[in-house]
Amino acid sequence: MTNLLSRRTVLKGLGASIALPWLEAMGPLKAFANQSPGGNRVPRRMAFVYVPNGKNMADWTPSADGTEFTLPRILEPLSEVREYLNVLTGLTADKARPNGDGPGDHARAMGAFLTGAQPRKTDGTDIRAGVSVDQVAASRIGEQTRLASLEIGCDPSAMAGNCDSGYSCVYSSTISWRSATTPVPKLNNPRLIFERLFSTGSDSDRARRERNRRSILDHVREDAASLQPNLSGNDQRRLDEYLTSIRDIEQRIARAARLPEPPRPNMAQPEGIPTGHEEHIRLLCDLLVLAFQADITRVSTFVFANEGSNRPYPFIDVREGHHDLSHHGNDSAKMQKIATINRFHVTQFAYMLGRMKNIREGDGTLLDNCMIAYGSGNSDGNRHNHDDLPVLLVGRGSGTIRTGRHVRYARNTPLNNLWLSMLDRMGTSVEVLGDSTGRLGNLA
Amino acid sequence: MRYVAAVSVFILALAGYVINRTAGQAPAAESNDAVEKIIVPYVNKHCVQCHGPKKKNASLALHIYTDEKAILKDRKRWIEVIRMLSAGEMPPEKQPRPDVNDTDKFLKTIHAIFTEADAKGPRDPGRVTMRRLNRAEYNNTIRDLIGVDFKPAEDFPADDVGHGFDNIGDVLTVSPVLMERYLAAAETITQQAIIGGELPKPSTRTVSARFTEPSVPNPDKVGKFRPITKTKSPLNTLYNLTQDGQFKARIRGYGQQLGAEPVKIALTIDGKEVKVFDVPTNDPMNPQALEIRLELKKGAHRMAAVLLNEFKDPDGPAERTFFLEMLQLEGPLDTRPASHKKIMAHQDGLSTRDAVPEILERFATKAYRRPATKAEIDRLANLVHHAEKNGEKTEAGIQLAMQAILCSPKFLFRVELDHRPDSKDAHPIDEYQLASRLSYFLWSTMPDDELFGLAEKKQLHANLEAQVKRMLADPKSYALVENFAAQWLQLRLLKSHAPDSTLFPDFDDGLRNAMIRETELFFQAIIKEDRSVLDLLDSNFTFMNGRLAAHYGIADTNGNRVGQKEIVKAGTPFVQGRTGKFGGKFGGKGGGRSSSEFVRVTFADDERGGILTHASILTLTSNPTRTNPVKRGKWVLEQILGTPPPPPPPNVPELEEKGELKGTLRERFEQHRKNPSCANCHAKLDPMGFAFENFNAIGKFRTKEGDAPIDVSGILPGGQKFNGPKELRKILLDKKDVFARALTEKMLTYAIGRGLEYYDKKHVDHIEAALAKNEYRFSRLVVEITQSDPFRMRRGKDQKND
Repeated sequence: MTNLLSRRTVLKGLGASIALPWLEAMGPLKAFANQSPGGNRVPRRMAFVYVPNGKNMADWTPSADGTEFTLPRILEPLSEVREYLNVLTGLTADKARPNGDGPGDHARAMGAFLTGAQPRKTDGTDIRAGVSVDQVAASRIGEQTRLASLEIGCDPSAMAGNCDSGYSCVYSSTISWRSATTPVPKLNNPRLIFERLFSTGSDSDRARRERNRRSILDHVREDAASLQPNLSGNDQRRLDEYLTSIRDIEQRIARAARLPEPPRPNMAQPEGIPTGHEEHIRLLCDLLVLAFQADITRVSTFVFANEGSNRPYPFIDVREGHHDLSHHGNDSAKMQKIATINRFHVTQFAYMLGRMKNIREGDGTLLDNCMIAYGSGNSDGNRHNHDDLPVLLVGRGSGTIRTGRHVRYARNTPLNNLWLSMLDRMGTSVEVLGDSTGRLGNLA
Repeated sequence: MRYVAAVSVFILALAGYVINRTAGQAPAAESNDAVEKIIVPYVNKHCVQCHGPKKKNASLALHIYTDEKAILKDRKRWIEVIRMLSAGEMPPEKQPRPDVNDTDKFLKTIHAIFTEADAKGPRDPGRVTMRRLNRAEYNNTIRDLIGVDFKPAEDFPADDVGHGFDNIGDVLTVSPVLMERYLAAAETITQQAIIGGELPKPSTRTVSARFTEPSVPNPDKVGKFRPITKTKSPLNTLYNLTQDGQFKARIRGYGQQLGAEPVKIALTIDGKEVKVFDVPTNDPMNPQALEIRLELKKGAHRMAAVLLNEFKDPDGPAERTFFLEMLQLEGPLDTRPASHKKIMAHQDGLSTRDAVPEILERFATKAYRRPATKAEIDRLANLVHHAEKNGEKTEAGIQLAMQAILCSPKFLFRVELDHRPDSKDAHPIDEYQLASRLSYFLWSTMPDDELFGLAEKKQLHANLEAQVKRMLADPKSYALVENFAAQWLQLRLLKSHAPDSTLFPDFDDGLRNAMIRETELFFQAIIKEDRSVLDLLDSNFTFMNGRLAAHYGIADTNGNRVGQKEIVKAGTPFVQGRTGKFGGKFGGKGGGRSSSEFVRVTFADDERGGILTHASILTLTSNPTRTNPVKRGKWVLEQILGTPPPPPPPNVPELEEKGELKGTLRERFEQHRKNPSCANCHAKLDPMGFAFENFNAIGKFRTKEGDAPIDVSGILPGGQKFNGPKELRKILLDKKDVFARALTEKMLTYAIGRGLEYYDKKHVDHIEAALAKNEYRFSRLVVEITQSDPFRMRRGKDQKND
């Protein structure tokens, strides 16, 4: 690590803006880079952004295919990043369909989105979906960064009630699944996310804390091991989850010791959750960009709102609840309001992409090296159909994706085929994920 | 057509279910006979084409069930069969429909088989998955374990919800994010609980002589020293102490000797002499601090410096004098926080180091909620020694051990190991486990000393009822309001509910919180006064503050209405909310209640009564912009009657455009319900919701919607007619056994931390019957739940684990 710039040098180099230039002379780049496929020096990142309750598809799907298409009303805010954008039409999440399970399209829409697995219909016992694409990547390349992955969102888990026709609230509030039975909760408090990204406190404090934590983790692991022979069935599973979490933290501590400190951001630690919803989303966008920029993680999921969210958006003049509106019954006023909400979400997404586009990295920008999927597991919120899903793929994957197009796929092409293709580009290929039938064509 | 059949069957099944329970017994079935005569022919006629020897759709082959034993063996599948059939999902749409009466008989027969099996079978208390402490439980447990109430779990990710509650074992998972938060919380907690490094210095309060009493008109003009020459003129000051403790009291000054004796000065506290000093010096450059160590109790104390031996020079003006510079009080000398002293307490005469095992045993036993073993204590002691080897104080080592305890699965989970693992049959859980189940059920926290004591003496099972009653009377039972009631009634949803601010400018956090508080206090009254749970359905009292009273149009605590003639003698008037519109007799000139204080209100009319007319419930079952009768009807069916409506069919058909929908909400819904695919489900949902249309989307009373008068009449399936919420409440009271059962099921789920299964049915039956026999009193429900098998017992070795 002889070429490492000292932390002080990096900090001095920070300007007034948050945009932190990726300095190739920095040691960390060399240290991480040899893990990316093709010997490319800058790492690739993948992110998945989820929005609920479907879209007003008439204002979403461009009429022309190929490169010469007009951005419809909902997608219009993306015009600044158009050259990085692919609109993918026709993808299907078959496992979000009932397939004999009756109602529950919101739970299934989110539960199947990144997994391609049929969520088990249960109100609390034996929750089960499948492993999600982000966690597949994180499990392979996560050890190269301080955090294996970052899961964030605006809404916490649902607080009370049956969430969707007999499905546990877990399904409609969780998009990442580490295994078929282990949902990964998301953080929604910017202060805590910041703490997770950047360690706080002095160096000696930190050394003592790490040393103490290692002792504590050793001790509690033994506690768990002593319990295990006496437990059975579901209790064993609980304890396994506990042990996995311990192992995860131990690995992170070991990685942190091995990897250099991430540069300090020129950003004050957020105090908590902002009161304004738009401000909240933007702050989370900033944190995700920061996490990628400082290479603290390369895999992230971001849920703008839980599936079935009934939040009103009074600051854009939509006073009814989102979910209520999405059951529009073909009322055109309601459909327009849905489109307004959809456009609002895309505007926030565009903000995030704009920031990524302005960060220089290697020969290009951060956005060049990203692959960011944006979409919903429901197509039309009234019909609750799961084919013809609204999906965007933004970013060039370090030159492996041809962008600036509207691509149409054959009916019922699995969404999971897209995930397979993305996993390839992260160097974490799998042959099958959920209901995938192969790679998604027409991307390169 | 399919849904007509579905709903008819559902209603019949519901009716049958109700009838069966009201009658109290199931019709006895000649079991195998019934299988032969009713089950097999039905299955052969309607099911085996797809679920038989040739085709096994969904891996279900029904032809193999030829006797009762086979059906009971696969009970879970047959429960699915019943569900599908009752909901009309089977046979599938395109297949011919069985005759409704045949299906009804089929279902009744199966029910009878199950009921008889339950009555005769072995005890099955079920299994609950090891329960992780949820956020509320973690906060409360830390508060009671350590004595520090600072809610560390606010930073934890939200708990996942199952069966309507956030304390369900199968749903509460552990993730790396949560584990990190546990580690961080444990650090913070132990640092607050005991001081691992240097103890802070005690505080010292110094009063310069110029500011002592008797006070001087210009203290700044007085020099550094004030003379005391007369015994009856001491100088003193008042100290206000916030805690008991050991202190050091000091007088600083110097003497001017005269005559043979040295200057004698006494330090007095509250007039009593504590110590007498011979003042040794006469040097103003070297004032002496005369000090005494003493015990003082919390409160105000007057400290004085008194000259004991005044003396005047017989030949001149000189006098023996004490020149006072300052009075000082230092302390409490022990700056260890109360939590520190409690945790570190040990046998007299032992050094802290030697006391480590004692300290750890006490803390680990409390934290693990059962006696710590020697092996556990030894391992924890190693952590302490490890820290000491790294140059830390013993206290810092104890902190480390405490962190390990607080992150251990033995603390974070309610582990319930079988203390009789070889027992074949169901047997009681061990005493300590029972103590935890009780305390987390009723208090959402760890057991207290009394429960631990009884568990240690193996007398808790034997004293269950008395303990339950004690626990209900304890203020900690408010946890049932905050955690059980708030989730059962879905009050937590109200916190994030956002009524449209242009349509409801009145609604703000003050009103929101007042609504929530009303329902909380009401439920609390049911607990405290051991009222009948039926009061939840209809009652003649509630709680309001000024804000809520204005919202309800109530003028005083006897229920008279604002702006109307008195119906009953006036009670204490409310000071009306923010706008102060209501002046005069009921206005704010004093003698009324302050706006924010909650008081009990007795209704003078029956416009409102019970939780169904609480603004909280009426608001959370509405949309942001308007009422939602379907949501309200669904809420009543689900939360109050425990009979959730069938879910909407997978493809809700498009509604044809028939031009503008006109009229009141109800009139427009009527037009929708004329569509037969929708009508039959909504016949169950809508009437209940429409009965409450007099209450708008934030629970305020109205008689008109826009210009149109509101029609609040309805017909329930089964033909009962009602007009308005008052009559609907009476009808619900008639269904009291259905309500009691729903409440029992919900509370039992909350108490045992798992969803209910078929083998719980007979226990629910028993609890419901006991409740009815005891005037539906709340304490009875709780006692019966704690005495039931699912709460008190665990499965034996041979019992199936499904």
